[in-house]
Amino acid sequence: MTPGKDVPPVLSTVLRDRVLRAARLARAEGRPFPDVVAISPAEAFSRAADALYGSLCMLSDADWRHPALRGLDVQCLVGHLIGVEYDVHRALSGDPVVAAADHVESTQPAAAGQAGRRAAQTCADWHRATGHTLALVRSTGDLDAEVAVHGLRLPLGALLIVRAFELWTHENDIRRVAGLPASVPDAPTLRLMTDLAARLLPHAASLTGLDEPTSLRLVLTGPGGGAWDVMIGEDPPGAVPIRIVADAAGFCRLAANRVTPAELDVHVTGDPGRAARVLAAASALALD
Amino acid sequence: MHPSVTERTTRRHCPGTGPGVSVTWVEGSDPLLAVRLTAGDDHALAEVFDRLAPAAYGAALSVLGQGPAAQDVVQDVFVELWCHPDRYNPDAGSLRVFLTVLARHRAVDVARSELRRIARQERYLRLTPMEQDRSPPEEVTASEAASALRTAVSHLPDGQRRVIELAYFEGLTCREVARAVGIPEGTAKSRLRLALAKLETVLDRQLLESS
Repeated sequence: MTPGKDVPPVLSTVLRDRVLRAARLARAEGRPFPDVVAISPAEAFSRAADALYGSLCMLSDADWRHPALRGLDVQCLVGHLIGVEYDVHRALSGDPVVAAADHVESTQPAAAGQAGRRAAQTCADWHRATGHTLALVRSTGDLDAEVAVHGLRLPLGALLIVRAFELWTHENDIRRVAGLPASVPDAPTLRLMTDLAARLLPHAASLTGLDEPTSLRLVLTGPGGGAWDVMIGEDPPGAVPIRIVADAAGFCRLAANRVTPAELDVHVTGDPGRAARVLAAASALALD
Repeated sequence: MHPSVTERTTRRHCPGTGPGVSVTWVEGSDPLLAVRLTAGDDHALAEVFDRLAPAAYGAALSVLGQGPAAQDVVQDVFVELWCHPDRYNPDAGSLRVFLTVLARHRAVDVARSELRRIARQERYLRLTPMEQDRSPPEEVTASEAASALRTAVSHLPDGQRRVIELAYFEGLTCREVARAVGIPEGTAKSRLRLALAKLETVLDRQLLESS
């Protein structure tokens, strides 16, 4: 018996449709195996804050003085995060001033204000600020309520995932300068982050002027990964199909602007130039 | 343009290969298909189907000899690959071998199950006197035997009697019996074993075998 010659074409098509339908009923497409336990965006933010707190507790006094990002040492970078929390508190209280505030400039006083303080005080202030953020989220209750801060206008749930993204990113900025190995969020947290990054890709593409109609299948591997169909630009019949396969955590580092497309392990099917522009656009999501 | 994305083949670490060990992802390769299946990329499943369903179908058909049954096996095999992508290990062999071996095993299971069903059916027919074409003396003997068997069955505890009736008089499989009675399959099997053991003590073993 020669494989491939025993299935009449019509039978094969019918069987193919039947099998793929049965498979999708048995396991939803786009979901990783094993599937992750769903957690709330508030839980993801809380876990990211706990992870960063754990990393901060491992630092020596000298580590707090290491330059970490944009000329800020570790302590001032944590000060920046305190400033972000304060602005989020104001946004959650309906203060319109922070809606258009610049993410870095607005938090600069809080960052600079850490100079000369004890590291433990900075750490405690930041920890208290994240706790207050969570308390405000609990009192707000509505994760679909729109919040405007630092040029973002997002549902509260999405904002909390963005914040989890930011905490994880800065945690790794700090771990890097302290000589600690990079950390990866747990799978449920990472899944929320990959899902948000995938859904925001068209927005990121438009920010970078990438409007070539592209039909992207994004496949992110490893815990917290998944598969997404992302339409970039308009949706004409001529949209160029490409597929990008990359590691989930690696893609999040790209979206956080901590690795370049050239540094990301990736497999592309389709137009490689188009894929390179899409990957470059992903970095536009970073707040820094 | 970044060199890493201009190539259709890149090097990366693969889960399970350990730190520092790189494997190559090649378009259409089994390791790439495996990670895509694990990530939930249903396009990968379609690609695997297009490439390997004929081989799986051929393997099932060679055992079963019937197209519809072989197609059912193909469906089982591909749904299993999709639902449990971790059961395929690219380091252990090709996806083609994995799927054809799985299809052959499934087909053998189906064939065995079918043989058991036919055997049960034949046994049922032998136990049903009205459907036999016998001489008057044979008719009397068979009728007495069937009557003795049914009497013995009627004296079984309710739970055991029900599974015997379903399995031997209505021709259900153990799984179907379990579902009909609302008990686990293992419980159905143990009830059947207990009931048969009791019947053997009541009836002459010869009677059971001859009927």
